[in-house]
Amino acid sequence: MAVMDFAYHRPANLAEACALGERLGADAAFLAGGTELLPDYQRQRETARHLIALDGLEELRGIGVEDGSLVIGGLATIAQVAASPLVSACFPALAEAARSIGSPQIRSRATIGGNFCRAVPCADTPPAAVAAGALVRLVGPGGKRAMDAERFFTGPRRTALHPGEVLAAIVIPRQPAGSGGSYQRFARRQGSALAVAAVAARITMNGGRIVDARLALGAVAPVPMLATRAAAALVGEPPSAHLFALAGALCADEALPITDLRGTADFRRELVSVLANRALAQATERAGGAP
Amino acid sequence: MSSEMLVHITVNGQARALAVKPNATLLSVLRDHLDLTGTKKGCGMGDCGACTVVMDGEPVMSCLTLAAAADGKQVTTVEGLAAGGDLHPLQKSFVKHGALQCGYCTSGALMSSKALIDRNPAPAPDEIREALSGNLCRCGTYGRMLRAVEGWREFDGVPFDVKPHEHGEQDQARDHAVVGRGVTRYDAPDKVTGRAKYTADLHLPGMIHAKLLGSRIAHGIIRRIDVSKARALPGVLAVITGADVPDVWYGVSPAREDEQILARERVRYVGDEVAAVAAVDEDTAERALQLIEVDYEELPAVFDAEAAVAPGAPVIHPEHPRYAGNINTRVDWHFGDVARGFAEADHVRARSFVGNRTYQAPMEPHAALARWEPHGDRLTLWASTQVPHYLHRSLSRTLGIPMGNIRVIRPSVGGGFGAKAEATPLDFCAAMLSRMTGRPVLMEYTREEMFRHFRGRHKQHIDLKVGVKRDGTITAVEQRVVLDGGAYTSFGVITAYYAGSMLPTLYKMPNYRYEGLRVYTNLPASGAFRGHGVPQPRFAFESLLDMIAEDLGIDPIEIRLRNAMEPGTRTCNALDISSCEFRETLTRARDASGWREKKGKLPRGKGIGVGCGGFVSGAGYPIYRSDFPHSNAVIRVHEDGTGVSLHIAAAEIGQGSDTVMVQIAAEELGVPYEQVWLVECDTVLASLDLGAYSSRLTLMGGNAVRMAAQRVKAQLCDVVSRELGCDADALEARGGRIFMKDHPTLGMEWAVAARMAFSRTGPVVGTGSYRPPENLGGDFKGGAVGTSPAYSFSTAIAEVTVDLETGYVTVDRFTDFSDAGTVINPVTFHGQVEGSIVMGLGEALLEDTVVGAGGHLSNPNLHDYLIPTIRETPEIRTVAVESYEPHGPFGAKEIGEGSLLPVMGAIANAVYDACGVRVTELPITPEKILQGLRTAAEAIEAPASEPMPAILQSPGAAVR
Repeated sequence: MAVMDFAYHRPANLAEACALGERLGADAAFLAGGTELLPDYQRQRETARHLIALDGLEELRGIGVEDGSLVIGGLATIAQVAASPLVSACFPALAEAARSIGSPQIRSRATIGGNFCRAVPCADTPPAAVAAGALVRLVGPGGKRAMDAERFFTGPRRTALHPGEVLAAIVIPRQPAGSGGSYQRFARRQGSALAVAAVAARITMNGGRIVDARLALGAVAPVPMLATRAAAALVGEPPSAHLFALAGALCADEALPITDLRGTADFRRELVSVLANRALAQATERAGGAP
Repeated sequence: MSSEMLVHITVNGQARALAVKPNATLLSVLRDHLDLTGTKKGCGMGDCGACTVVMDGEPVMSCLTLAAAADGKQVTTVEGLAAGGDLHPLQKSFVKHGALQCGYCTSGALMSSKALIDRNPAPAPDEIREALSGNLCRCGTYGRMLRAVEGWREFDGVPFDVKPHEHGEQDQARDHAVVGRGVTRYDAPDKVTGRAKYTADLHLPGMIHAKLLGSRIAHGIIRRIDVSKARALPGVLAVITGADVPDVWYGVSPAREDEQILARERVRYVGDEVAAVAAVDEDTAERALQLIEVDYEELPAVFDAEAAVAPGAPVIHPEHPRYAGNINTRVDWHFGDVARGFAEADHVRARSFVGNRTYQAPMEPHAALARWEPHGDRLTLWASTQVPHYLHRSLSRTLGIPMGNIRVIRPSVGGGFGAKAEATPLDFCAAMLSRMTGRPVLMEYTREEMFRHFRGRHKQHIDLKVGVKRDGTITAVEQRVVLDGGAYTSFGVITAYYAGSMLPTLYKMPNYRYEGLRVYTNLPASGAFRGHGVPQPRFAFESLLDMIAEDLGIDPIEIRLRNAMEPGTRTCNALDISSCEFRETLTRARDASGWREKKGKLPRGKGIGVGCGGFVSGAGYPIYRSDFPHSNAVIRVHEDGTGVSLHIAAAEIGQGSDTVMVQIAAEELGVPYEQVWLVECDTVLASLDLGAYSSRLTLMGGNAVRMAAQRVKAQLCDVVSRELGCDADALEARGGRIFMKDHPTLGMEWAVAARMAFSRTGPVVGTGSYRPPENLGGDFKGGAVGTSPAYSFSTAIAEVTVDLETGYVTVDRFTDFSDAGTVINPVTFHGQVEGSIVMGLGEALLEDTVVGAGGHLSNPNLHDYLIPTIRETPEIRTVAVESYEPHGPFGAKEIGEGSLLPVMGAIANAVYDACGVRVTELPITPEKILQGLRTAAEAIEAPASEPMPAILQSPGAAVR
């Protein structure tokens, strides 16, 4: 077990945090809830000698609505996301994904920003957000930028963040009329366990047909990935069990799972197919269409 | 980097300004700065919840919360729950519902519950399950926690007492005042308030900390160890290696003393201890470990039993010719004539099974605190141990000082299940380092080190063959077990015998052959884990018996009834079964579970299965040859007669033995439960007790206590008989009075009699001891293993749901009927059975330590090694059948281990009933089930002419 060795910084505002982050570069890590970062120190996966605590930055807190979009501050805790009526009203599957994370004690400290920025492939909120067409707002020494959530993740534990850049917020745009979402995960245990595979879906219905579909896969690829072929197969079709089974099979085909402690790649593909099927059925139902 | 910072935290209503290091966690500040040791460290990684506190209204893991992040916050710990000397209603509810056993998770569970009820005073069961889903309890007390939180408001404003909860459990009608009553646990008030001190909670003046360095390779020769840099690190007080410790071989099993305190020449597994550092604090010790340079000559290593016995395999213990070929233990038993038995059989079925390397994972990490007294060469050791006596003896033998110079104290122990049944390098090194530094030395394992030290279940490869008559009567059984023992013996010799010895105790088997082979590998040593060697063969047997029943078209419970053990039987391997109500457990479990309506009649995906088990009520012989009585007790009456002290060095580890001992003392003496003080387990204050293993305490410790009480009572009755002018035999003691049996109004207050006795002769003391009946067991090698004065029996019925698409198994319901003799305390009895079901569920469905490249464990933590949570806990019904064991105190026998044995078989059989997949390799994972389902689908789709051997080739799964 490694000793956690770091200097602790607590900047008073975001600009100061970004400047400090840029100056210290790779030798620094931003600290939000710490539920992933502190164990990573003990596992010697994190060795940054400076911790920049973000908990003083009020501008990163809160969940609100701006111009019809849901804006979730990077420091919103997973418990807040899980319990937020705004999140549930906008895209309940995101709240459900949040609820599936860890234990109550973890959720009360862990943040959605941390869940994104640590970029563990089996993280739960990213696929749900990606399915909802989320954007991430980044603030850094060079200013602000925004990008599609799916582009934020560049590899296992790797993101598009530049040195000194902070994930300020996750923005979920107003969901299309006639749409519904779902988040389905499989874990080895009901209480507090990492996902072995997960599928988030959003289906938009019009006139009895699927007019848009987004399927994001979790824990079965280096990043939360959009299953584009499966989505394309759905568009223009009326929902049916047969169609969902086909989409499930395509998801399984598109997934890039690995074999690890939690399951083999083959098992994960099987799970993806089943979970996609279930996610599509629930999303369609929520979209007001009969599966 | 480590300059201190000032934080302001309001803890339990009190504002505190604290100078802390930046890396200090809230947990360390609470424990080390504020001495609030009720908050526990179970993993340090946010996986177990033992460190849960409430911060600004929310439950948080204090081990993952930096003290700096708690700046300006309100923190409540378990010590802040009770107000004005009165327990919080939630605490009372936990006590009254028996919602705690070892107590190590209790503070955290209480704090998660507190955060919930503050938000929602009347939570629904699902909300409680969710709120407690991050609080691991290895005693498996989840169902009781659920009820305690549900019913907490009943205790608002209710005065606290020790009486049984009004909805308290009662199984047997007995004419006793204290025995058989669900009085509250003796240790409960301390455990719900955080006052109970576990070893690592102790703090002595001048205390320092030490850490062990483990080998980073699985097998090698130590060429050179350079500790100079570590010694030079400021704050380091001592560094020791194998060269600095006594050159002795030790081991809990005297037949194979193959361990060294620190490796001198050779390391045999990843984690094998090579050095230890004592320093002013843990961080400094840890830093010093990183500075120790060990130069190894790496040797080939073997990680499974087959490779270990292959020709040319590296020899793991070349120091002794008896270990040649990596064979640690070989058993060859033949009772009756199996060849004839199989010839007489109408049907023979054989199958291979694998039981895995599961870990006990007690919530409290091992810890030892040593204080060497410079005057007189004396050592005091506080240790988290199940076996104070074996630890005491091991210390004496390895350190070369008499037992009289050593004092072993067992503070509260947060669970053991066999993991703490022998001395560890922590115990020896803490003692050595204390002698070298002149300071008290505290050592603890991290969660990862616990997994590496291990002593968990052996991996067992089991080949089982059973022959039966057409009506299901067993004619012959043949079992071959290969046990992967890891790098050292630990209890393994005994494990290899137990794996064979206990099969014949449940079913009558006239002819039985058992071959056992325990093999050394370069893995952490396997040892004695709850059920000791027996659970996996039992899983195999219960599975195979179901297959045979199906072959013959006999109901699984019926085939068990036809072969069920009967009282007063001598088994084929010369074990004497005394009381036995096995049939009763079978028929009542069948009726209570609705078996007849469910078996074979549930929709696909739903299943019901039966499993049976049983265990010894204490081993018939000690681990080392000795003529000492196994349990010993002293009772001393206080001079004014209003109190009694009970001295016994029995090891309460969560199973409830302290409570049972006090109940037995109170019952026999005739005083109320609350008048008995149990003296702390301390080898200076109490005589030898062999400890908490082989489910021995209720029967053996209980008999010793009862004898001591009888001898005290005799002295008081003598006084009373003189006063009343009657025969002492005519008297009875009960409820604080001693009176004539035939004229209950004629008598005397117990305390008055005690005062008169003290006035006459001085201290009133009674001693008691227990030794098992002589000459137990057969006159063959290993015949001692499996002997016991009494055996338990139980039947469990599992009901499961299998998700046919993902293979996920949910255990919905468990029904258990046990024959444990007289139940001394129904609350602790049911707590043990419920805990066994939860633990067995983990072994059946979830648990296995996985060995990765180079012999490194892949999941040595509670994040990747998943044990059941409250969310996995099924609805459980447990019942004690009417039974009386003549060898047991008031008719009692064991429950703690026997109740685990039916669980895996019952689940495996229920899974098969649900989906037709027979998984023969534990754990029964969703992946194996899907594999089995797929094979079934392929088999059905295959042309009829196609043979079906693929089914048999599919590892771990097959179909009907």
